[in-house]
Amino acid sequence: MTRSAALAPAALGLMLLFAGWSLLAMALADTRVIAGPIQVAGWLAGNAGLIGRALAVTLTNAAIGFLAGNLAAILLAGIALVWPRLTHAVSGLALVVFCLPLIATGPILRVLLGPGEAPQIVLAALAVYYTTLIPLMTGLRATPAVWLDLVRSYGRGRLAELIHVRARAGLPYLFAGLQIAAPAAFLGAMVGEFTGAERGLGVLTIRFTRSMDVSALWAIALLAAAVSMVAYGAIGALARAVLHDRPPVILAPPGIGTGAGFGRAVHAALLVVLVLAVWWGAMEALDLNRFFAKRPPDVLAAMIRGPDAAATRGALFEAVAETAVFLLPGYLAGLGLGAGMAILLVLLPGLAALILPVAVALRSIPIVTTAPLIVLFLGRGAAGTITLVAVMVFFPTLVACLHGLRQAPGQILDVFQTYASGPLRQMLHVRLPAMLPALFAAARMSVPAAILAVTVVEWLTTGRGLGSLMALSASTSNYNLLWAAVVVVTAISTICYAAVAMLEARILAIYAPEQMRR
Amino acid sequence: MPAEPGPRADIVCHRLGKVFAGGIEAVAPVDLTFEAGRTTALIGPSGCGKSTLLRLVAGLEDPTSGQVRIAGLTPAEQRRRGAISVAFQDPSLLPWLTVRGNIALARKLARQSPDPRLVEDLIGLVGLDGFAETRPAALSGGMRQRAAIARALATRPDILLLDEPFGAVDELTRQQLARELPPLWQPRGTTTLLVTHSIHEAVMLADRLVVLSPRPARVVSDIAVPLPVPRPADLAETPEFRALATRASAALALGNARNAPMAAQ
Repeated sequence: MTRSAALAPAALGLMLLFAGWSLLAMALADTRVIAGPIQVAGWLAGNAGLIGRALAVTLTNAAIGFLAGNLAAILLAGIALVWPRLTHAVSGLALVVFCLPLIATGPILRVLLGPGEAPQIVLAALAVYYTTLIPLMTGLRATPAVWLDLVRSYGRGRLAELIHVRARAGLPYLFAGLQIAAPAAFLGAMVGEFTGAERGLGVLTIRFTRSMDVSALWAIALLAAAVSMVAYGAIGALARAVLHDRPPVILAPPGIGTGAGFGRAVHAALLVVLVLAVWWGAMEALDLNRFFAKRPPDVLAAMIRGPDAAATRGALFEAVAETAVFLLPGYLAGLGLGAGMAILLVLLPGLAALILPVAVALRSIPIVTTAPLIVLFLGRGAAGTITLVAVMVFFPTLVACLHGLRQAPGQILDVFQTYASGPLRQMLHVRLPAMLPALFAAARMSVPAAILAVTVVEWLTTGRGLGSLMALSASTSNYNLLWAAVVVVTAISTICYAAVAMLEARILAIYAPEQMRR
Repeated sequence: MPAEPGPRADIVCHRLGKVFAGGIEAVAPVDLTFEAGRTTALIGPSGCGKSTLLRLVAGLEDPTSGQVRIAGLTPAEQRRRGAISVAFQDPSLLPWLTVRGNIALARKLARQSPDPRLVEDLIGLVGLDGFAETRPAALSGGMRQRAAIARALATRPDILLLDEPFGAVDELTRQQLARELPPLWQPRGTTTLLVTHSIHEAVMLADRLVVLSPRPARVVSDIAVPLPVPRPADLAETPEFRALATRASAALALGNARNAPMAAQ
């Protein structure tokens, strides 16, 4: 199939999406929740200067954050490669930082770094480094042993291995990470702008959400989507040009499933100590103001020993319960629908050719930036929040599960075909087991994403739960409560991630043991 | 060849043994000397430890007992001199490099100056004319093996270690490679160790056959191959060739029989 022929179903899918959007906008014209293509185009034309300036600011912040975050990721991956004993520390610390709630880190960075673009850039960097670090660490280690033997057979060491083999062998994995990181940087910059910036698309989003300007919100969401898709596609094209093949799909992180129960507990304990040491040490080294920059003992006092500790714990507990009510159904619905849609697309390949390119494109969209639209459409209650979380989880799950379903071993499928087994039986006995590792990988990576989605919606619209609590405590300068919330959200996110990773390790041990050996 | 020609590269294994983690003994302590400039075939059943023995000689595995000396130096010292080349069972070509790039890489790794003419000659000698700019994915199994052997020869090594280099190709290609490739290293006096489980291949290529028992590898028989070099394809039809093959086959069977009671235990 030529490239243009392969693109035809994708173009048709996008046209259908466009037509559906137009029809929906016409049908719901009275409700004032959907702006059609003409309204959006009209608004963009009328506000080209405003939107152009905002886009330039957000793009610049995202680009600098993208660069800084990825350089940090490459550096960390290099450190973990040269000193393998540091792998657990590097990946664990990176995970904890990845699980920090951007909604809270935004305001904290703003008071620490002052006005200007620095907080948005840092948030963009924080949003990207993990998505690059994990594939790169995997890629640098996934080198076949025989290639390394070749280098060693000429008496060369680790540096020659890195230069001649690992660096190039890891390149496809680096591109796979960069491809996901590009939209993530845009998302990070926008979330940073949500939290008190002066310029940028995020600032406009806040302004138009408050004034209920539907056309403007649709225009900004579509612009953000377009930018993300272009960045995603451009890095994919660059990868194809450089690599001559597609970037791989990364499922398992390095070191997953290694170590027994006791070893894991020791690693977890060491990680907690490391996080506390880095947190405390960095604040003391930078001599940050204690009013804004709370140290571990301050948070401990706020939650356990201080006079308001009971009230703080009560507020946190109530917020966690409120958030969980939205988070869990949305998360599970996103996983279930993503896996279900993937199965349907494999059973109906004609439909897959139409939908898959659209789904891959939509995966690159920073869904959080569409939060105001979804809540506008479905209301500020449970439906809107749960839907947003589900959408955030749905697309990565769909793409990962489709990849997993297609990894089903051809020879085993041939065996089933020789017994004239139908597609359903093949699905049940061969494809579904092959899909499980991908499903669990998506479930793991979706944990922080789902928490980000729910806290953003709570903050922007519903006024409940952890997102609202963090925003409120930031605006009232209640930094004890804000830092306590950061610790709680980060701990929940990290523990849930680790719990899913443990389940995933059990699944991989059975269904994809080769991924455990990387 | 390394920057300066080395002394006679006899390979001396003294009480050389290897026990892997978990107590799996791959090579029982052996005393063996592989004479400089000769080709020795290590033959034995699958999994008997012959590849481990080759890796020990290359210094890619550390022995748990004994030692290897090549012209008085350790394998690591010889590797640093660029004196050793290994052609692995898996051609292990880097997929992002062309055939030319893969062959030239060996000289780079061995810290030898680029020699485009030698690379081109080797491409021609292994019959890959017209494929110099082709990446490994577009080559057949036999072509990849040829490229891997050309790469191993690109440094003009004193020691050439071949680990079932024709293992992944069909029988016809295997026989063709076994005929065509030895003239590339034999006239240079390269000390060559060949691991194979094919008796035909061993007799066709080697001056000496070392027959190994099932794991742990022990020397069952040491057979000289006094056949003329180069060896034409029809040599396999001669009584001398058949006699040697029968002798090696009998030694293999003897090794199996000796180890059977141990395996049962």
